[in-house]
Amino acid sequence: MSANGITQVLTVAKDELRYWVRSKLALSVLVIGILLTLSSVIVTAINMTELNHQRQSLQNTAEETFTDQPDRHPHRMVHYGHYAFRVPSPLSTLDPGVDAYTGNSIFLEGHRQNSAMFADQRQGTALTKLGSLSPAFIVQMLVPLLLILIGYSAVSRERESQTLSFILSQGTSIYTIIAGKGLALLSVVTVIMLPLVISGVLAISQGESVVIAVGFLLGYVLYLLVWSLVVLLFSSVFSKKSESFTALAFVWILMCVVMPRIASTTAATTVPTIGKLETDFAVIAQLRQLGDGHNAADPAFAKLKASLLEQHGVDTVEDLPVNFRGVVARESEAELTKVLNKFAEESMSQELSQTLLSRNFGWLSPMVAIRSLSMISAGTSIETHHRFMRETEALRFNFVQALNTAHVEKLSYQDDINRNVDEAATKKARIGAENWQVLQDFNFTADPGEVRLQRSTDSFFQLIIWIAVLVGLIRLAGRQTL
Amino acid sequence: MSYLPEQLYREWQFMLRQRYILVLLVCTFLISGFSVISGLNEVDQQLQTIDRLKLADNEDRSDAQAKYNDVGLLAYYSFHLTYSPPSDLAFAALGERDIYPWKHRIRMLALEGQIYESDAQNAELAQAGKIDFVFVLSALAPLLIILLFHDLYASERTSGRHDLLVTTARSSFALWGARVAVRFCSVLVCLMVPLYVSTWLSGTSGVSVLLTSLWCVVYLVFWTVLSVWWGKRASSAPRVASGLIGVWVLLTFVIPILGDLAINQTIHAPEGGEIVLTQREAVNDAWDLPKKTTMDAFIATHPKWKNHVEMQSMFEWKWYYAFQQVGDQTAASLSQEYQTAAKRKYELAGYVSFFSPPLLLQRHLTHIANTDAVAAFEYEQQIREFHKQLRLFYYPWLFTQPEIDKAGLAAMPSFDDVVQNWPEGQSASGAGSAPQIHSIAR
Repeated sequence: MSANGITQVLTVAKDELRYWVRSKLALSVLVIGILLTLSSVIVTAINMTELNHQRQSLQNTAEETFTDQPDRHPHRMVHYGHYAFRVPSPLSTLDPGVDAYTGNSIFLEGHRQNSAMFADQRQGTALTKLGSLSPAFIVQMLVPLLLILIGYSAVSRERESQTLSFILSQGTSIYTIIAGKGLALLSVVTVIMLPLVISGVLAISQGESVVIAVGFLLGYVLYLLVWSLVVLLFSSVFSKKSESFTALAFVWILMCVVMPRIASTTAATTVPTIGKLETDFAVIAQLRQLGDGHNAADPAFAKLKASLLEQHGVDTVEDLPVNFRGVVARESEAELTKVLNKFAEESMSQELSQTLLSRNFGWLSPMVAIRSLSMISAGTSIETHHRFMRETEALRFNFVQALNTAHVEKLSYQDDINRNVDEAATKKARIGAENWQVLQDFNFTADPGEVRLQRSTDSFFQLIIWIAVLVGLIRLAGRQTL
Repeated sequence: MSYLPEQLYREWQFMLRQRYILVLLVCTFLISGFSVISGLNEVDQQLQTIDRLKLADNEDRSDAQAKYNDVGLLAYYSFHLTYSPPSDLAFAALGERDIYPWKHRIRMLALEGQIYESDAQNAELAQAGKIDFVFVLSALAPLLIILLFHDLYASERTSGRHDLLVTTARSSFALWGARVAVRFCSVLVCLMVPLYVSTWLSGTSGVSVLLTSLWCVVYLVFWTVLSVWWGKRASSAPRVASGLIGVWVLLTFVIPILGDLAINQTIHAPEGGEIVLTQREAVNDAWDLPKKTTMDAFIATHPKWKNHVEMQSMFEWKWYYAFQQVGDQTAASLSQEYQTAAKRKYELAGYVSFFSPPLLLQRHLTHIANTDAVAAFEYEQQIREFHKQLRLFYYPWLFTQPEIDKAGLAAMPSFDDVVQNWPEGQSASGAGSAPQIHSIAR
């Protein structure tokens, strides 16, 4: 574009801005939009930071109480268990995602994989069913509406009042006008993005990867660009501003209000998942074949016993240099965990395919695309929750097996089987508290930046295709005007 | 043709010629249809799940009962399914069932360690929310009504017909009333027909359907009157619509969100984690405490067994189950506080919803459908009651007769009985829910 062209575009943009200032509606909409975004950024940042500190300190307390336990029978510590808390990622201040919908703490104990407990929504008022004050929600849902309210008449107004043909007859191209109006809308986008950018910079200072923070913000810019283009397109196609308004409002309803829910409902009905209760039955059935690890006399452990006796060249378990009850506990925990993990992985992959299906609706609605992109980048999507479940499982298995090993090596078999005879025997069947130093430090962080970026490529692609198609359509609309 | 039908017929003909209105109506019908079909599907899946669970649960428990002869082990390995089936209107108002669990398996161990387990559905889908009839009506219908009614006057003004029409029309009803009536009835039909077909299919009780219809019509009339009134003097249709959509945003999002913030600031609940931690510490410490301490705490609440607490060995099941119960007792006040806070929050939200018609409608309809938080709280109480009955059922065996009589297991309390004997006054069914709706707000 020539220098002259650029000046013309700037003039159109400036005129548009002047029109907004004159029309009270546009100005008040803009002010409301900025206030909403700003307050959501501040409130969510405060909330998430609070949650972060709270969960971090709960995690430390949990570790301390575990290691502070007195001398005990090692298996008692297996049942005593441990807690893990999911600390929110830095970008969750902009998009808390599933945080309030999945439990944020999990109880880790022997022989069981518990689900996460205490989802915040369950202590909620049910007032935020339709929308929450997160910046993500405000920008995804309400800012497009704001762009529509400000820009619906950008071109159609000129056409309705016949000024368009006047300007065109003076040799200004329709594309110059559309570009100018678009530039004016972009200035709104910039203003709206400012609080998000500041929050993003803060997230980087808290250790978020720069690439992912930039990608996150870029995603939102692309999304708002899509809506600016939609506004320009409809404004150029319709000859009356009331028509362009109705059409835009309708498109917004479909894209932002209806589509995300149609996506989740469709995904839930086409890929039904089996709940934990049902898989538990399958787990129980398989476990029954493995035998009860509390009962070393269970016939399921006969083979283990035989091989152990042979290995050590003795005839009875009493003669073994190791505690047979501990060996059984360790062995059965390992077998059981294999079964549990198999079912857990199955149910996670079901959930994931559900989610991936719903994300495909990003081709039909840019809101679905940005929603996925935003949660994935922020590390608050279902994948991060799955990662939390996997990491906590590893933590669980490690400390349980470490305790079982202490059971095998530190506690004699004789003391162990006599533990219920009398008070003194019970006391004797204990090992020292120094054996409780088996917890690995648990610091949950979201997936590395590259992984999240790679997961969000589809959504980026969706938004870029949206932009390309819209630009094409605007060119087409412009050609028809000429 | 007499006067009134003539006017209505004319407006009907007019409407059929306006393409964008037809598109709006068709979309309304399709979305409403999709919402109830997917709702029916969801409810059907829930019912099937419950059937499968019941079967598996029975089988699993019979296995456990056959396998163990020691009553302690038998109780330890016997799980019991509890569930809250969807009501006949749940397909239209899925409500809180994706957040609160509606199925649980519990056993005789400390309940506080079990009851917060949740078998939740996909969190990312729950976060997006599902599209059910209540959503279509409370959030979507107002927007459609705004689009249909905002330009009633303005469109005639801009096309210059307004004054002519007003002077030539026989009455203002003949002109505007007929138009409003035709549009309103059309949108009502498009919204409600899918619902009625589904209520007929799933045999919903007449009272529920009637109440639902009543609330829906009142709600839609509210938005129609608002839209028509707002547009009366305006000449620019988009301006009217912008204002109305602004009101919609205010009522649907801003007021509820502010209310939520305010309520969460005022009501302080104990951290859920604290309850489980307290319970766990109590249960685990019991192993090292003198047996008497545990038994004293137990017989303080269960004096019936005070002559049976002596122990012969270092481990006896009666002691094990006693300290499980003592663990629950230790956490009881925290747990009570937690439950009260949740209830209180929901009650206060009732006040807020008076300023937010969409939320008010949601609360009413989910209440009629028995899918609201109140229903979830009630289900939790039923679980607690069942757990109590289960304990009381096992105690005689644990404390007095070491030998189990397997025929006696048939008398084991069942969750279904608990639900059946649940006091009518507390059970929230569609009929007679009017006073309860009042009580939620309080």
